[in-house]
Amino acid sequence: MQQVLSLSSISKSYGSIKALKEVSFDVPEGAVFGILGPNGSGKTTMLSIILDILKSDAGSFQWFGQPGSPATRKRIGSLLETPNFYHYLSAIDNLNITQAISGRGNKEDIEQVLKIVKLYERRKSKFSTFSLGMKQRLAIAAALLGDPQVLVFDEPTNGLDPVGIAEIRELIKELSKRGKTIIMASHLLDEVEKVCTHVAILKKGTLITAGNVDEVFSNEDIVEVSAADPDQLFALLENYPAHTNIKRDGNRVQLFFPIGTVKLEDINRYCFEKGISLNLLLVRKERLETRFFELTNDK
Amino acid sequence: MTALIKIEWLKIKKYPAFWWMVIIVMLTYPAINTMTYYGYMQATTGKDMAKNIARMFLGNPFAFPETWHSVAYFSSFFILLPSILVIMLVTNEYTFKTHRQNIIDGWSREQFITSKLFDVLIVSLIVTGFYIIVALGFGLYADSATVYQWSKELQYIPLFLLQTFAQLSIAFLLGYVIKKAFIALGIFLFYYLIIENIAMNYARFKLNDVGRFLPFEISDRLIPVPAFFSRFGKDAKASYDHAISQIPEHVVYTVLLTALIWFICYKVHKKRDL
Repeated sequence: MQQVLSLSSISKSYGSIKALKEVSFDVPEGAVFGILGPNGSGKTTMLSIILDILKSDAGSFQWFGQPGSPATRKRIGSLLETPNFYHYLSAIDNLNITQAISGRGNKEDIEQVLKIVKLYERRKSKFSTFSLGMKQRLAIAAALLGDPQVLVFDEPTNGLDPVGIAEIRELIKELSKRGKTIIMASHLLDEVEKVCTHVAILKKGTLITAGNVDEVFSNEDIVEVSAADPDQLFALLENYPAHTNIKRDGNRVQLFFPIGTVKLEDINRYCFEKGISLNLLLVRKERLETRFFELTNDK
Repeated sequence: MTALIKIEWLKIKKYPAFWWMVIIVMLTYPAINTMTYYGYMQATTGKDMAKNIARMFLGNPFAFPETWHSVAYFSSFFILLPSILVIMLVTNEYTFKTHRQNIIDGWSREQFITSKLFDVLIVSLIVTGFYIIVALGFGLYADSATVYQWSKELQYIPLFLLQTFAQLSIAFLLGYVIKKAFIALGIFLFYYLIIENIAMNYARFKLNDVGRFLPFEISDRLIPVPAFFSRFGKDAKASYDHAISQIPEHVVYTVLLTALIWFICYKVHKKRDL
């Protein structure tokens, strides 16, 4: 599969602060690629570099197998950090400028994207009269203009109300279904968990991990069990083969297994044969949030 | 090229400050010249013998062809007005962060600076257009007997355009480097109205006139004082002739300085973080 975007050893400093340290990863075609990290971890810096807003100190990147250029940027719909528009112009006039610069879309497409983001009624209002959420919607409309194959969204749900957030999430899913590649930076884990196929995690400018969501976040399956006597259950399961870890969580016992190796029937039979009847038995995927905190924790 | 101009026009045509500038220039250029014209008329019209002599002696600065020179000279005092607009046009891009968005959407960094160069050029051409209309109007109105000389001294049209473009380029540079409209405007006004005038006059008397190489003075000397100033004695005549003889030299300096300004903008913009 062709890589839409490849970064190799990108570094960037602001004075003595190292914003990015040799970050490398690939975004495959058709991925919904989430870039996660706490505030100040370098997400926006990284996106700014691949969009030629900032110059990296070292390293290189390629879009569609070519070095980044105006021609490659024209093929990408982008929303970076804040909605950037001319305040004294209307929504339509602003999109006319986007259209003229990028060459993406035409007059009908402008109306259509305004309908998608529900700004059509306000198309003739000046940008300066828009609320934060409406500005964000217009920025998304600008990115969608001309139906580009690749979209870059930096915190796309910033400033949106819960309904707006859900709408954007649906929009991203739908775009993904249509084969678009989406690169999205966010600190909202929930958002990423619900839509992303791939993730990269940044922490203080260092890439901690990158890859498929399932690989990055669930390298363990957790089995939760409980019985009338949790102490007895715990003692019993300590001797159960092949688990990597065991924990007490209130009345429940958590058993950790390498991903894909767990067989619930075996656990059930094992306990029953040893004289304990289970009143709960389930496999729980590790929550993204927990994993995220583990990964980004200062050790 | 035309694509860039079209896009800049999309940005400018609905910008209220642009139309304010147009209206104010439209009022100011005729106004300042009318004031001067009536000042001249008052000094030279009447039964008084002295006034008649004065008129014969000074000539009419607003008749063809001297109108091209006089109107250029008086109008150029108001470079401030289009300068404000030029500074706003560049600092707006920073305020709205559209200097980033234009690049993200697919302009090269060079195209961004080129688009701004077109802004400055468009404003210069509009201002020059007003100057031409006003000069023409005065020429026709002031003395119909001299109309046949209309095409003499047309060199003041390109000189006015060059001066305007050069001085607006300085305004652009300030806006480009400082990024904040009010600070850039403040520095521009303070330097243009005060610092350079003091420095220039000091240099004139103490430093063998090196003040003529100050950024604004370089192009100010493209359009020396109107010819009637030369009629106030031998010294005035000598200094007027000297100023006229220096114009070609100053054309070269002005072109060099302006080219340097834009060269710096291109170079800086290619490398810097936006």
